[in-house]
Amino acid sequence: MAATEPKKRRGCLGCSFPIILIIVLVFVVITVMGFLAGPLGQALFGEISWLEWMSVERPEPHLPAPVLFHVLGLPITNSILAGWITVIFLVLLSWLVTRRMKLVPGKLQGAFEAIVGWMYDFCRNTAGEVNGRKFFPVVVTIFLFVAFNAWLSLVPGYGSILLGDHELIRGANTDINTPLAVAFISFFFVAFFGLRMMRLKWLKQYFNLGPVFRAIGGIFKGKFDFMGIFSGIIDAFVGMLELLSRFITIISFTFRLFGNMTAGEILLLVTAYLIPWVLAIPFYGLELLIGFIQGLIFAGLTLVFASMAVTSHAEEAH
Amino acid sequence: MDAEAVKFLAAGLAIGLGALGPALGLGIIGYGAMQGLARNPEARGPIMTNMILAAGLTEAIAIYALIVAIILAMVA
Repeated sequence: MAATEPKKRRGCLGCSFPIILIIVLVFVVITVMGFLAGPLGQALFGEISWLEWMSVERPEPHLPAPVLFHVLGLPITNSILAGWITVIFLVLLSWLVTRRMKLVPGKLQGAFEAIVGWMYDFCRNTAGEVNGRKFFPVVVTIFLFVAFNAWLSLVPGYGSILLGDHELIRGANTDINTPLAVAFISFFFVAFFGLRMMRLKWLKQYFNLGPVFRAIGGIFKGKFDFMGIFSGIIDAFVGMLELLSRFITIISFTFRLFGNMTAGEILLLVTAYLIPWVLAIPFYGLELLIGFIQGLIFAGLTLVFASMAVTSHAEEAH
Repeated sequence: MDAEAVKFLAAGLAIGLGALGPALGLGIIGYGAMQGLARNPEARGPIMTNMILAAGLTEAIAIYALIVAIILAMVA
């Protein structure tokens, strides 16, 4: 029986040798043609007229997102459209996954459960059992939104469909307003949980005026405590610094995400310009990884700040 | 030197000098993670996650410099 016999495996990567040879040859030919058509080849060997169809225009990145149209006087930019698409995509995906949940998950449910369950473990490990459960919804939402914004902007059609002079949709993270909005959400989330769990103690970290007033009050009672006043002023100053660093956190959250995504987009444009058709392929893989890491960093830092806000400094010391 | 040349020189210097610090930082992070792995191979998962987190944070500083360089070279 020929069918049951273990066949002698020939070829490479599941293809027979002639086919893989043809694939490699076509790839090498495209690479060489792309190299000659790109600016590097043009600089070295001069322009080759029959390869002109391959070359790409020089990319001109513009940082602010262009306004496409107005709705009730509100300007709608192309990155807002991309953000809405991400939201709709995530809602539809979650609906599809949770519509018919099974105890033994299928492929899609399994994949989704793996992501969400991994984030859940991450929350519980970082913030503890009780707090981790509380923080989990917001943290995983930030993660999914940021990561899917980055991943969806790699889909063909983002940045390539033109409406007038501008792209119809462009990755939402490449406009500075989207990361800023997510950073504000993260900031208010941390402040909300800090106020709710620690009440006034949370504010006291930032407006630490108690010791200096106590020391000044001591003067009227006849005790002149110079060191008390001095250390009170230092405490108040440290509190103001902490407050300042909270606001700087917003800025650094914003620019980290915006910078990574914009740099990735420009990197793809430039590689597609340097050697058309070939060089951008490995960088697409890099961008997948970077989108995941940025989502993880945004969500993870929010989680760390939130868990720092709900643990008092007195507990931390021990 | 005309203004154009200074602009490109500034862009190159911005990313070149700005990448120095994060490069050292990434090296230190990798060093620490490798040492942790060598001492405690079972803790591979948590070390990996935290290393990627710290590496991303460090990388962001180079990205700030990159933004400045891009703005200088292409937009400004």
